[in-house]
Amino acid sequence: MAGDEMRIVTFRDIFQSEAQEMGRYSQEYQDLSAVVRLDQLDMKRLGLKDGQRVAVEGDSGTVVVTARTSDESPHPGVALMPNSPWSNRLVPEETDESRIPEFKNLKGRIVATEEKVKPISELLEELKG
Amino acid sequence: MAVCTGCSLLCEDIEVALDGGKMGKTRNLCRKGLGHFKSIYLDRARPAVDGKEAGIDEAIDKAAGILKNAKKPLIFGWSNSTLDAQKAGLELARELGAVVDDTSSICQGWIVEKVLRKEIPTCTLDDVRNYADVSIFWGSDPSSSHPRHLSRFSYYPRGEKRQRGYEEDRTAITIDVRKSPTADISDEYYRVLPGGDAGLVEAMISVLDGKIPRVEDKKKLISLVTNMKKSRFGVIFPGLGMVYSLKGRKELLDALVEKLNQSSRYSVIPMVGHYNMRGFNQTLLDQTGFINRVSFQDGVESGPEHSVMEAAKTCDAALVIGSDPVSSLPAAVARRLAGMPVVAVDPHRNLTTDVARVVIPSAASGLEAGGSALRMDGVEIKFDGVVESERMTDLEILARIKEGL
Repeated sequence: MAGDEMRIVTFRDIFQSEAQEMGRYSQEYQDLSAVVRLDQLDMKRLGLKDGQRVAVEGDSGTVVVTARTSDESPHPGVALMPNSPWSNRLVPEETDESRIPEFKNLKGRIVATEEKVKPISELLEELKG
Repeated sequence: MAVCTGCSLLCEDIEVALDGGKMGKTRNLCRKGLGHFKSIYLDRARPAVDGKEAGIDEAIDKAAGILKNAKKPLIFGWSNSTLDAQKAGLELARELGAVVDDTSSICQGWIVEKVLRKEIPTCTLDDVRNYADVSIFWGSDPSSSHPRHLSRFSYYPRGEKRQRGYEEDRTAITIDVRKSPTADISDEYYRVLPGGDAGLVEAMISVLDGKIPRVEDKKKLISLVTNMKKSRFGVIFPGLGMVYSLKGRKELLDALVEKLNQSSRYSVIPMVGHYNMRGFNQTLLDQTGFINRVSFQDGVESGPEHSVMEAAKTCDAALVIGSDPVSSLPAAVARRLAGMPVVAVDPHRNLTTDVARVVIPSAASGLEAGGSALRMDGVEIKFDGVVESERMTDLEILARIKEGL
């Protein structure tokens, strides 16, 4: 992973939390979860438009989500993802001696993609193996 | 008045009108709380065995069988159950010789432990409302996670010694990697880079020692620390941002709080998420001397090897109660859980109930069942259900499983 490597930080979003309370399987929960929010400088640098699909590629996995321009700037080089089964594809199983996963300090590359966002039912099938 | 069990603020002033199976008018609920109450009628779990709908008695028998036959069962979740259910669950765990861990193991555990062991000073949220003049949201964003924190306790309200509220009497400081909704309305926002919290704490301690801090914007940091020092009753509210960033340098939190307390008065209240996680940590501590990561396999022991992250590798069955680890754990760990026989006890359908061998639907506590819980500051709050339900409570389910052994 060369120059385009970004820090990925997961966070809680109140609209996503509300949708989660009302059911993990709703389209609304997916739309509010499978998202990465980027600083406008990064959007420009990566040639991305708001609403475009991107693959977030980390050492532990890759996940397709929708890119959004962040309204919590400035945070260049830091990509924000709501904590969800989508972001958890990027979190490694390995931890330090604390045995606490690195939910908030991940590394990854973000590239435009034509692939679709996988619905939660598909993520679940993949987990079942 | 109802109590909202949507987060660990346990707001006690909720009014809801439930009319013919639908939500009517409500008062005082936040957005998250409203979703929580609406969930009474949405996506409920149904009793199932091996993916097929089953009777509740069959599901309980099957659950008891799975747990009895396991060499090393894990019981995980706990944070969304009442204090009485947690106690019943621990009786079951002892009988099974199970490994026990809760959500604090992957979030606020280490800070809650410092508070429960009295290693760092704390106070209640009522003290915050009455006396606090500086609230520091460090890696926490209550506007998103605990939406009424600022209005009930930490910023907006008038309190006994804080009659002028946020306009004159209170200062809110947010330290975060992003300009969160809380940062947006705070008096001061200090941006920290991911993983940069340890460096920031060290720089703050330098300033408190009268030294020049090793940071880029020295003026901004000195001004921040000066404002922190001016406080007569300051409170730090650590969120997951601080929890994860300082997990390898936990001693720095003690050092900062100790240093601040040399010239002012500072307390810490961890921003616990689930409504009764603190209750579980306290209950387990009272019974075993440990707050989480306990094994009853051979007497009582605790250690990182009994964390859910390790237990997912070493246990051969799991009882998950009121939690959705298949959604919330790293995918590789979720895959391990999905590969073992899981018994899921939950009011709602979620990814964990969908991988479970046995699903036992429960009454949602606070909505359909009463009990009590410890708020994020340790104050016990009692509550009743707001609607009648035929579903069993966690307490009844755990007792039935224990009988079935």
